[in-house]
Amino acid sequence: MTVSELQKKIGLKALNQIHDKEVDGAYVSDMLSDVMAGAKAGNVWVTIQVHKNIVAVANLVDVSAVIIAGGRVPQDDTLELASKAKITIFSTDLNTFKLVGKLHQAGVTTE
Amino acid sequence: MPAQECNHNWTMTNIRGGYIVQETCYRCNSRRIYFSYEDNPPREKYREGEHIWSYFGSDQSVKFDLVCSNCGKLVTFEELAGLMHCFGCTNTDCNLYTLSRICQELDIWVYAALGHLPTTGEIALTVEKLQTLSKFFNDRLKSPGKKILILPSTFSSDPQRCYGEIIRDIGMLEMTEA
Repeated sequence: MTVSELQKKIGLKALNQIHDKEVDGAYVSDMLSDVMAGAKAGNVWVTIQVHKNIVAVANLVDVSAVIIAGGRVPQDDTLELASKAKITIFSTDLNTFKLVGKLHQAGVTTE
Repeated sequence: MPAQECNHNWTMTNIRGGYIVQETCYRCNSRRIYFSYEDNPPREKYREGEHIWSYFGSDQSVKFDLVCSNCGKLVTFEELAGLMHCFGCTNTDCNLYTLSRICQELDIWVYAALGHLPTTGEIALTVEKLQTLSKFFNDRLKSPGKKILILPSTFSSDPQRCYGEIIRDIGMLEMTEA
């Protein structure tokens, strides 16, 4: 499944240009250090964090996209930087629990 | 397999939590960071040479080592206080900024390794350790053509006033008051 296919299935709001990478599993964490240690390339990363540092980590790990739950929206400079790094940032009003349920229903699983 | 013949497959190990503590100099506004395993760092001002350091804040972070899953070789990174990404700067003469700008066009993403040990203060990671870190992060990548380059923080023209963002858990859990 690609990032844009996932967007359509779940109804995610793209906050920047969609970079259509293959989604390979998901990782849910609000701790950047945990993501750096535990997430895998291709994972879609679910978080409520919105500060600029999410791009530094998403880029380092090479996640397929970042989904920000709970209706939070990062500032424009964060989105600009994410676009440079070809990282799609989505937003959803769903809370993390409901979002993860929908991801699972959509077929996003991890090993 | 002997370690010298191994095409290492690095994985993180010995992940240990702590805090990145920031201090600023009361006299010259310099900034420095160190990693602390303690929940309560010293918060009172103290003098060190020309500087008078005061506590500025702290955020959760981790330290880790890398182990090769093929040969078992362990590389420790006790001196790695954190990784910093240059997002842009007011100091356009900075080597880190210049290199980051050039590399971004080539889909190479530059991170600076911030070295610090309590016994020595700021310390640059060895070339071998920087290569190991770079290999670890690059081997994980899936995006075609993308590269990660880990440089020593000494590439920053003025690390004490650098605007780079250190990877840390901002706003998650500051160290509690003593």
